[in-house]
Amino acid sequence: MQQAKTIRLPLLLLWSTGLFLLAGNNAFAQTTKISGKIINERTSAPTPSATITIKNTRRFTVADEAGRFTIDASAGDVLVITMVGYLRKEVVVGKNNVILQIKLAETSAKLDDVVVIGYGRAKRKDLTGGISSISGEELRKSQPTTFDQALQGKVAGVMVQQISGQPGGGVSIQIHGVSSISGSNSPLYVIDGVIIPPTNDPGNGANPLNAINPSEIESIDVLKDASATAIYGSQATNGVIVITTKRGSVAPPQISYDGYYGYQQLPKRLPTVNLQQLATFLNERAAVWGFDDRPEFANAKYLGTGTNWQNELFRTAPMQNHSLTINGGDARTQYLFSLGYFDQNGIALGSEFKRYSVRLNLDNKTTDWLKIGTSLQFANVVENVNSSSAGVIGSSLWLTPDIPVKNVDGTWGGVTNSSGWVQPVVNPVAMALINKNMNYRYQLFGNAYAEINFTKALSLRNEVSGNFDFSSNEGFQPQTTFGKYTTPNPTISSYSSGQNIYTVIRNYLTYNKSFGKNNLNVLLGHESNMSKSANAFASRSDFPSANVQSISSGDPSTARNNGGYGAGASESYFGRINFSWIDKYLFTFNLRNDGSDKFPTDKRWATSTSGAFAWKINNEQFLQTVQAINELKLRLGYGLTNNQNIPANTYVTQLTTVANGLSGTAQFQSNLPNPNVKWEQTKNGNIGLDGTFFNWRLNFSIDVYDRKTDGLLLKVPYPAYSGTTTNYSPGAMQAPYVNVGSMSNKGIDIRVGTTNIKNKNFSWKTDITVSRNINKVLNLGAGDDASLVSGNSKTVVGQPIGSFYGYIYDGIFATADDFKSHALPADQSGTPRPIANAFGGIWYGDRMFKDLNGDGIIDTRDQTFLGSPQPKFQFGFNNSFNYKGFDLNIFFSGNVGNKVYNQLPVNQMNPLNNTNYFTGVLNYAKTALVNPAGDRNDVNNVYVTNPHTTIVSLRNDNTNENGRFTNLFLEDASFIRCKNVTIGYNLPQNILAKAHIYSLRLYANVSNAFTITKYTGMDPEVGSWNPLEAGYDGGYYPQSRVFTVGVNVKLTK
Amino acid sequence: MKLINKLLIPLLLLVAVAGCKKSFLDRPSQSQIASNNFYQSAKEMRLATASLYGGPSVWQWHSNGFLQFGDVLSGNGTTGQYQGTNNNELFAVNLSASNGFVKSAWTGLYNLIGQCNSTILGIQQYAPPTVPAAEKNAAIAEAKFIRGYAYFNLVLHWGAVPIVEDNSKLIDQPLLNRIIVSDVYKFVTNDLTYAVQNLPVTDVAGRVTTWSAQGMLSKVYLTMAGLGGNGTRNQAYLDSAKKYAGNVCKNSGKTLFPNYYDLFKAQNNDVPEVLFAFQWQAGTGYGNGNTFNNYAPTNTIMPKKGGAWASMKPTYDLYLLYSGKDSVRRKATFMMNGDHFPELDAANGGYTATGSSMKKHVIGNDIDNSSPLMDLWSSPEHDAVLRLADVYLIYAEAIMGSNTTTSDPDALLYYNKVRTRAGVDPLSTITLDTLLSERRIEFAFEGIFWSDLVRLSYWKPAKALAIVNAQNRAFFNYAAGVATPDANGPVVVVLPATASSFTLQIPATELTANQKLAEAPVKYY
Repeated sequence: MQQAKTIRLPLLLLWSTGLFLLAGNNAFAQTTKISGKIINERTSAPTPSATITIKNTRRFTVADEAGRFTIDASAGDVLVITMVGYLRKEVVVGKNNVILQIKLAETSAKLDDVVVIGYGRAKRKDLTGGISSISGEELRKSQPTTFDQALQGKVAGVMVQQISGQPGGGVSIQIHGVSSISGSNSPLYVIDGVIIPPTNDPGNGANPLNAINPSEIESIDVLKDASATAIYGSQATNGVIVITTKRGSVAPPQISYDGYYGYQQLPKRLPTVNLQQLATFLNERAAVWGFDDRPEFANAKYLGTGTNWQNELFRTAPMQNHSLTINGGDARTQYLFSLGYFDQNGIALGSEFKRYSVRLNLDNKTTDWLKIGTSLQFANVVENVNSSSAGVIGSSLWLTPDIPVKNVDGTWGGVTNSSGWVQPVVNPVAMALINKNMNYRYQLFGNAYAEINFTKALSLRNEVSGNFDFSSNEGFQPQTTFGKYTTPNPTISSYSSGQNIYTVIRNYLTYNKSFGKNNLNVLLGHESNMSKSANAFASRSDFPSANVQSISSGDPSTARNNGGYGAGASESYFGRINFSWIDKYLFTFNLRNDGSDKFPTDKRWATSTSGAFAWKINNEQFLQTVQAINELKLRLGYGLTNNQNIPANTYVTQLTTVANGLSGTAQFQSNLPNPNVKWEQTKNGNIGLDGTFFNWRLNFSIDVYDRKTDGLLLKVPYPAYSGTTTNYSPGAMQAPYVNVGSMSNKGIDIRVGTTNIKNKNFSWKTDITVSRNINKVLNLGAGDDASLVSGNSKTVVGQPIGSFYGYIYDGIFATADDFKSHALPADQSGTPRPIANAFGGIWYGDRMFKDLNGDGIIDTRDQTFLGSPQPKFQFGFNNSFNYKGFDLNIFFSGNVGNKVYNQLPVNQMNPLNNTNYFTGVLNYAKTALVNPAGDRNDVNNVYVTNPHTTIVSLRNDNTNENGRFTNLFLEDASFIRCKNVTIGYNLPQNILAKAHIYSLRLYANVSNAFTITKYTGMDPEVGSWNPLEAGYDGGYYPQSRVFTVGVNVKLTK
Repeated sequence: MKLINKLLIPLLLLVAVAGCKKSFLDRPSQSQIASNNFYQSAKEMRLATASLYGGPSVWQWHSNGFLQFGDVLSGNGTTGQYQGTNNNELFAVNLSASNGFVKSAWTGLYNLIGQCNSTILGIQQYAPPTVPAAEKNAAIAEAKFIRGYAYFNLVLHWGAVPIVEDNSKLIDQPLLNRIIVSDVYKFVTNDLTYAVQNLPVTDVAGRVTTWSAQGMLSKVYLTMAGLGGNGTRNQAYLDSAKKYAGNVCKNSGKTLFPNYYDLFKAQNNDVPEVLFAFQWQAGTGYGNGNTFNNYAPTNTIMPKKGGAWASMKPTYDLYLLYSGKDSVRRKATFMMNGDHFPELDAANGGYTATGSSMKKHVIGNDIDNSSPLMDLWSSPEHDAVLRLADVYLIYAEAIMGSNTTTSDPDALLYYNKVRTRAGVDPLSTITLDTLLSERRIEFAFEGIFWSDLVRLSYWKPAKALAIVNAQNRAFFNYAAGVATPDANGPVVVVLPATASSFTLQIPATELTANQKLAEAPVKYY
């Protein structure tokens, strides 16, 4: 809150200055009054809000609601009328023209939009490749913390899944399916020409892209197919996301402010038992076990509800965003300056995200042949990631309701039951509040360019750009006691500091020439990238007080440190030819040669090529007369791209220094090398159709693609006997990166936009996106039985990547017949376990599994494929309504057909568990005797009274391995989420004009308003960095429901 | 002028492009050394072999298999239910394929093998001819010794297992078959024989020598001798065991450390009696160090006063083995109510036990050991894998051979050396039973007893089963000189062992990853 106050003061000052400037401008007008009316050329309806400027002066006015305006001008002045969505018009003021009628022509919607195509721009109507674009304005409608969150459901062909709902948390993005599975599938990000190095899992659910302020984004272009991406070469196999920030324009200065304030809440709580339920359950269990009586629970019915740990940990948390932008310029220099402040408290205690950002974009036409400019962004991100790093969400579900948050004496509550089987759990509220785990980042993106025009057609652009990222982490963990448990480490303070510097030098020549209706554009260039990193870590233990946290105050004999350097490089030559023939046939050819340090010397260079053809069908004679078709274009593209996205130096064994009792230090073999590792290749074919019909009221775009990746670069999870690992396994070598087999992704993306109603006061627009991707592994190299097993996911030929693999649950043993119809697990020698109530036997209430191979026993060979975590479809559905000054936007997005393994109930509905329970455990299998006087160990004398339950009985035995991985907790995680509802109101011009405000919009917004799903966990959206092991919900930080109110103000146009 | 300006800038940039030399793309790691630049001297080779003795290479096996199989599965003690299903299954001799210890121990041994293989191949491939062959072979022999030890444990616990000699071959052929037991044993003896021939007679404390290899090889031969024996053992293997063990007993010049109790203090790490010990370092963090100190009964004797998760408690069955005279070994092995240990938390006057729990490996806090970096994850104790006392008893057992009793003077000499060092009266006849219980007493909580039972099960399966099934695995209370077993019996119900109990299941995750492991094993040679 302290920070917010210090920001507000400068804001206020800027605000007042802006008003003062504007007031001053108008004071100079001293000539005859000219008034007029602006109408739409096509409909003759009045056109409100156009800007009327007198050329070469700073005098201007804005038309009112009825299109009327008045301005002081003298004869011979030129009025310049500008308006978004209309062509600019100039009108000379005649001697007698007192009342003018000015007709404005509409621009032809999106087709004249300019799109970034990589080392250049093109008009959308001249594109040959599959590129989807989204404007900054559209993006900001869902109030995203980071821009990547907002792409969900907005761009066809892009699968977006939130990895962590932590403020600023990570998002996984796949364009046209999973292709490369080495560490990262994420696309290449290019921000104003600055390449952000590929993002891998940074741990802690953090998001490396969170330093970018969404308010500063002008547009995002998503390059999807090979013909669009090939020009970016080696890093672009997974698609390219090009972010363009706002720049200045030749216009009077404009000051705008965007701000919102909101609060977030946890949309759903998990059904943990209350104290009374817990006591009742444990009493019943103790009766079966014959031990573990808890005297404090003797009279369960007199107990209250106890502590609800979820309520204690989760809170309603505020968030706010302020962004101030000043832009403008004259014919020579254009500028944009922007300040941003964002602060989000997480809904879990111990999580917060703050971002301060400054941007300066400058363009200067130095001489008639030289243009120079820069894009600079400085951002400071402060994150509290304590709640994720300390695992407090998990602990909040494990602590039982009999434990208080704080004891009467003020100490933190914790497990006090001294029985060995009752595990101590840390107090999550205490961990969130007393530990410290703060990330600080200072990031500078910079790009400077010089553009030289040798002739009108030939130009050379030189760019130097860099991403300078300095980060640090401060940690402090005091040794604390929770009941019977004392955290094992002494009080420890740590500090780490790192820097990542990525620089690119790029030069390219562009030749652009029109010959009548034909156009030729040739590009030729060179680029070199270099990255350098360094980091250091230090810690000490034993601090005199929790108030002194500086490392220097710890015990020097406990000092630890670590650190290192890294470097990487790549180099590329590239060229492109775009040729447009009689504005009907468009051709593109790309060629790029990349060299990378990731590969052995003889495998360093790779060539990417692509070609594309587009046919503007609507320009053909036979369609000229069809009024309904405004635009129709067919696109065909095919290309070969290469991928190098693996860590450096995997082709030789790296030896790491480890501590050793024999010689002080020793050299540990840290990886298994693959000296034959080489570039991964993707062949990508794409057919697209874009159309606009019915006077621009219906537009659509359909892309069908077929991508085949060969020599898939993969860190292969081998069986443990390989001595290697892809996860964490102390003492194992890192698994090699191998060009394994091939994989196919086929799919279709559809985007349809319609203007359903449009009249004077009311309009209604709908946008729909649908993305369908089919992933299939075609080959894994080592024969048909080759597989990649990671956790309980298995990847084999013929199946999608990372499918769940396990047993099929078939009810519980409830009747004597069940023992006849179902196979039992076996011991070491393959002998089935005995049917017995005694320890070591299988009994009523144990789970039954299907004996798939029919050998009469249950063992690992009875596992099968249970489903895929990949969604079959992802869609977005957006409706926007405008009525006079009001606007309403409702956006839904969703996934269809993906499975998620809900890990929490596996333990928390297991009666043998000794942490907290979900209420479902109360429906454990209850046994009864057929003949109450008979033998309770006779298999024919027992039955289960609730045979349809899925929860095992209270027997203190797990010979059956009831917790094995089955489809029981594998749930359909399809969902429809009302991602966003916004209602806004634009204040009328006549009111604003008096306050010298150009426009003012007030709005209210609800994000994640509701979710329709059958999934029983907290949030059905479970993203993952690792496609080999995706779709596991182990207590994710859920996405919060957010209510915000905000304002957009523009002081002048 | 204008034209010159226009051309000047591009020219400068051309220089920049030309600056991108071929070496621009050479970016070797600045934090790690690559194997192709290593193994250039004996010193560098020894830096690589040193990591095979401790640290991450050994960690998973050591913390999740070594004591769990050697002492928990065999009935010497357990931590109780604290560690949940995994631990209970071990103690109940009811291991499932998904047991976490089974998986981690398997993984740990193969991790160690992977490190040995890469070291051996690295030396063979990259050590320059200028390094004397003897030094090269000695370094390879160290790695082969440890690899032999790892495969010995694999075959002993799991029977037929896959053999990996060059991990990089798995890149093309990842799915291996299991190898028949006799061929795995042959592989082990090949590795150890190479070590016997190429290791030096003496080396710095902690490094293995030819005596270590001969001792280990004698144990392997003794174990192999019983394979499929059905009441008798293979005499040729017994002779080999006798030959190598006798050689160590008589010609190594090594003697038992005089004081059994002090042998387990960290200040006596790597005394000559110890032929092979894990080489741990304090202050290495999780996943790298000796964690056995965590079995301490209370945080007060732990470094930084934290991490005593659950004490390892001896069973009543183990307690009963110790005669009144055997108090030195008893007190060095486990604590009982009222025992005082002046060296634990010495600054506060020592520690007096209030219950029964393991004493071996519990060496006190950071101050007791003058080890400021010692923490719960890293005790500086170098715990022994093979002691001279073990070779003495192997020698006696090899002499006894297929008989169940012997009065051979050589056997008695070395057998009684072990007893008298501990202050126990010498015996005049050795029987199979006294030998087994001597070994169990001498090496309790040193990860050995289960392998003794497996060795017995090879040739006398019924006897091995009878021993396990006769154990009373209950904990006990000790007061006023009397030990009383828990009335409720063991903390978990112990199942009757069956013939198959002596062979562990292949981890379920491994079977899922490679279904060939479920097929019948094949020959390697």
